[in-house]
Amino acid sequence: MRFSFNWLKKYLETEQSIAQVAESLTAIGLEVDDLLDPEIAFKNFKLVKIEKAERHPNADRLQICSVVDGEGNNHQIVCGAPNAREGLIAILAMPGAIIPASNEVLKKSKIRGVESQGMMCSFDELAIETESECDGIIEVPEGTDLKTSVADVLGFDGGIFDVSVTPNRGDCFSVKGIARDLAAYGVGNFIENQPKPCEIDPEILTNVDYEDETIFNYAPQMSFRVIRGLKNGESPKWLKDALKNAGLNSISSIVDVANYCMIDRGAPFQIYDLDKIEGNLNIRFSYKNERFSDFKGEQYTLNSSILISEDDSHEPLCLLGIKSGAKIACDENTKNILIESAYFKPECIARTGIYLDATSDSRTRFERGIDREGCVNALDQVSCMILEICGGSAGKIFTIGGIDHPKISVKLTKSKLKSVSGCDIEWSKVKEILEKLGLSLVTEDNMSATFTVPSWRHDLQIEEDLIEEVLRINGYNNVQEQPLSVVSVGEDSCLKDFYQLSNLRKLLASRNMSEAVAYSFTKREFAEAFRENRKLILIMNAITTDFEVMRPSLLPNLLKTAVLSLNYGERSASIFEVGHVFADSCLQETHVSGIRIGAANSRNWLNEKRNYDVFDVKKDFFSMLNFYGVNIKNIKIEAKAPSYYHPSRSGAVYLGKKLLGWFGELHPKINKLFGISERIMAFEMLSAINEVKKKRQREYNNKIFPKIERDFSFIFNGQDAVGEIVNNVYKLDDRIAKVDIFDSFKISSTQKSIGITIVLDAVNRTLTEDEANEVSDKVVSYVENLGGKLRNQ
Amino acid sequence: MLAELDKLLGSCVFEIDHCKDLKKLEGIRVAVFGKNGKITEKMKYLKNLSQEEKRSVGAKINEVKSVIIEKLNAKSSDLEMIELEKKLASEKMDISMPVDIQSFGYIHPISKVFSEIATILSGYGFRFAEGPDIESEYFNFDTMNMPEYHPARTMHDTFYLNMPADEHGRKLLRTHTSPVETRYMLKNKPPLRFFTIGRTFRSDYDATHTPMFDQVEMLVVEKGVGMAQLKWLIKDILKKFFNLEKLSVRFRPSFFPFTEPSAEVDINYSIVKGKMIFGTGDKWLEIGGCGVSHPNVLKAGGIDPSEYQGIAFGLGIERLASLKYGVPDLRNYFESNEQWRETFGFSPVDL
Repeated sequence: MRFSFNWLKKYLETEQSIAQVAESLTAIGLEVDDLLDPEIAFKNFKLVKIEKAERHPNADRLQICSVVDGEGNNHQIVCGAPNAREGLIAILAMPGAIIPASNEVLKKSKIRGVESQGMMCSFDELAIETESECDGIIEVPEGTDLKTSVADVLGFDGGIFDVSVTPNRGDCFSVKGIARDLAAYGVGNFIENQPKPCEIDPEILTNVDYEDETIFNYAPQMSFRVIRGLKNGESPKWLKDALKNAGLNSISSIVDVANYCMIDRGAPFQIYDLDKIEGNLNIRFSYKNERFSDFKGEQYTLNSSILISEDDSHEPLCLLGIKSGAKIACDENTKNILIESAYFKPECIARTGIYLDATSDSRTRFERGIDREGCVNALDQVSCMILEICGGSAGKIFTIGGIDHPKISVKLTKSKLKSVSGCDIEWSKVKEILEKLGLSLVTEDNMSATFTVPSWRHDLQIEEDLIEEVLRINGYNNVQEQPLSVVSVGEDSCLKDFYQLSNLRKLLASRNMSEAVAYSFTKREFAEAFRENRKLILIMNAITTDFEVMRPSLLPNLLKTAVLSLNYGERSASIFEVGHVFADSCLQETHVSGIRIGAANSRNWLNEKRNYDVFDVKKDFFSMLNFYGVNIKNIKIEAKAPSYYHPSRSGAVYLGKKLLGWFGELHPKINKLFGISERIMAFEMLSAINEVKKKRQREYNNKIFPKIERDFSFIFNGQDAVGEIVNNVYKLDDRIAKVDIFDSFKISSTQKSIGITIVLDAVNRTLTEDEANEVSDKVVSYVENLGGKLRNQ
Repeated sequence: MLAELDKLLGSCVFEIDHCKDLKKLEGIRVAVFGKNGKITEKMKYLKNLSQEEKRSVGAKINEVKSVIIEKLNAKSSDLEMIELEKKLASEKMDISMPVDIQSFGYIHPISKVFSEIATILSGYGFRFAEGPDIESEYFNFDTMNMPEYHPARTMHDTFYLNMPADEHGRKLLRTHTSPVETRYMLKNKPPLRFFTIGRTFRSDYDATHTPMFDQVEMLVVEKGVGMAQLKWLIKDILKKFFNLEKLSVRFRPSFFPFTEPSAEVDINYSIVKGKMIFGTGDKWLEIGGCGVSHPNVLKAGGIDPSEYQGIAFGLGIERLASLKYGVPDLRNYFESNEQWRETFGFSPVDL
């Protein structure tokens, strides 16, 4: 909502400066987004008169001008404008001035050897849009006092506010409403400025028909007036300036007046060129699939619940309260008009606006709620102004429907005020604030008071709303802080889970993986590659195809992230993410996933350079399992990873029947999809990990008994899953504390040699040699049963 | 005899003192105490002496013996020390050689701020809860006092999903973390204090908006809590978060459908050499929104607003991280390369 300071002064008598008023606006919740304070914007600008203009000795197109300002000081200015001439009044920017177009500070300079003490400005340089075709510097009208401020000459009307109005404050989409709020805050006195009814020509008749009374559910009241014999031309300068300062272009005096009145008091109008209406105006609901095109040619297909106006052609003329059609638009030949000033129910306008995706200044105001009882006043104001500017005579106001909205009364109790605000505000002050905002006191007792709410405040409905008004105007800074009471809480299991994930992040970061946070949505083709047989969740109104589908896995966006690094010349990428995945059966599941691509280590004399392989991500996965207290002995790996993994270099990790996740190399089709040349290693841990029971702690025994270690060398078939055999060896005997593989090499294409070491520990006593042999025999016969052969026999 | 022994002692001490290696020292020991050693010889000789002589010569032999043993032992440990030093000197390694230092990955600043906030809030007795990213219209809007055709609801730029609507309306990506308030209130009886942290989504993508961002939100429902406690709480939280004793906090009236009264929260800063310094100066920066829960919100959570009042405060995580740790450009949070992670991420010990 933009408007000038002088416009505000129409409704507010104040001595305060624009800067002070701006501060107050923000303090009462009408946040000033942008402020044009002439004191600041036009500091170091002044009016000057060119006394002498001579050709620059070193440049044909430049002139050296001698100018004088309002104080009689002379300045020498080098100027290239063709219209710079003796006697012209111009706008001079002096050194130190900030030139709006470039936002740069002007400095004293020498132009082709001649000093220039400033710059005479064009509209372009001041970033002012203009219709004037003047080529060169701005020509200030002859006879203007040189002491006049530049802002005034340019029509900035004392400065410009741009206020962001919150959606609850329909009343503040008007200069009057803003003035009322400021006055309540103590910035000055509110001036009611109620428009007077205009003179009426009884000969002029107005008639509008309507379908039936159901239209009153949409438009409780519509008032009309005909004005005949007017002339639609150019608007006076003050009106053009006012609209320009409000961010609107001048169109014609009729349209300009309507726009002015809308910003002034908040009520939008519809103006019809009466001669373009065929027969009578009729108000009805639209038909399904009826077409409408607005005055700009935008096409809309209507449903059956939109209120429109039509004429005898039965084509919709306007979408009431939202859009005006081209057919009835006023132009320079317009002589007779019909003005409509109505109250539409906010929810009806909002529903239509959302359905058609149509925005307008009118919709903004109606859907936030305009003054329910202001239609006639607004119509009077706009008619008087049109008569004044365009001439003509006005007919009587013709109203259909009527507002029978009961006055809303709200009771404010002292105790509630005290408990919500936590502070004591004098009761007389409370009443004063509410009354200044337009509420009227109805009844009062020791505990409370009841107020009626003015017809322009749709947002005041319950006690809390009044409390907010009191606090807002009294100042939030006057609320004294009070500490919250101290409470003690027991263990927070959700927070524990949260910290557990934090610690998991630390674990992975310590394993040289960096954390990424990627979008929860991805490209459809990426999602497809990780979909498996699940149904994808699509975003119906996605902004770009990159963000079209909820990710069914963390991997696609992690790969996208990795590409960002690999493309910038990184030799490797190791990243992980803790985040949610989405697909039909699970609406949201937390996964911990990671990828490793490229060089596993840097070249260093201590280690051989190598690339990441499957065992790196297996180590990641098993480190996490260990971290979660999973008994690794019970883990089973099966070749059942999803199809985006390499079919013979990946595995699904199970604990009993519970699937905990997958790890492995990704399928080359994924490399192709993401344009990654190196092999990609990945793991995905599913949320089932949280349901796993922790490993039982071993009983503590402070005596230590010697352990016995035995090594075996077996020959296996090349296809055997040795890890599985190792896992089963654990289960052969309680006394086996540890099984590990110390050596592994290929003998031939069909045979491999595996060195297994086992540690025997009876925990609470010393093992005998016989026992050790017994366990060893068990191991050997178990492995031999599976087809392994002991090598050293 | 006694003189002989003195002479023997003298020569032994001389030899020991001048001995330079452990082998020779062992030779000396054998020469004195071995089978045919000089002292052994003297001992054999003792049996030929009278009882009286035996006593005096014996005592002398013992005396000489213990002096020599002592000397030998002392010399032996001296020489051992010297040999060890020699050996160690020969074992010299070039410890200046660079090693392959275990490198670590970086924790994302969002996770860092998550955990800082969680630590601060749990200190006030707030319990943590999470809600689903995929919400329904009812929880996202209706329970938050945003009826269907309210402009505030349209302003939320909501992403809708291709999932069947249910009794709670269409499915969408939550536009704020507030629906978790309702879910928490429905499960827990007042008085309560809880907070939630999580991803939120709005259909907005430009230099200052990403379609996904994170929020933290907290709610206190107790008898008689209002603006006074809210102001104290927010100030206290922000001081702790920014680690500034002097931070000024401004509460500016605003509008949120779910709170009444509502306020936007600003903190003060100044610009020194192009950098924002918080807690000094008179410029204000918006940091979050807060207010006293609207009675309709409490009702939707099954709480009687005539008995209890609620206060709520919500903040953007990325904004907090950017302000505290100087992370520029919002988009990089979700589209980061390794260099960004190294620059703005945190070592695992800092989480």
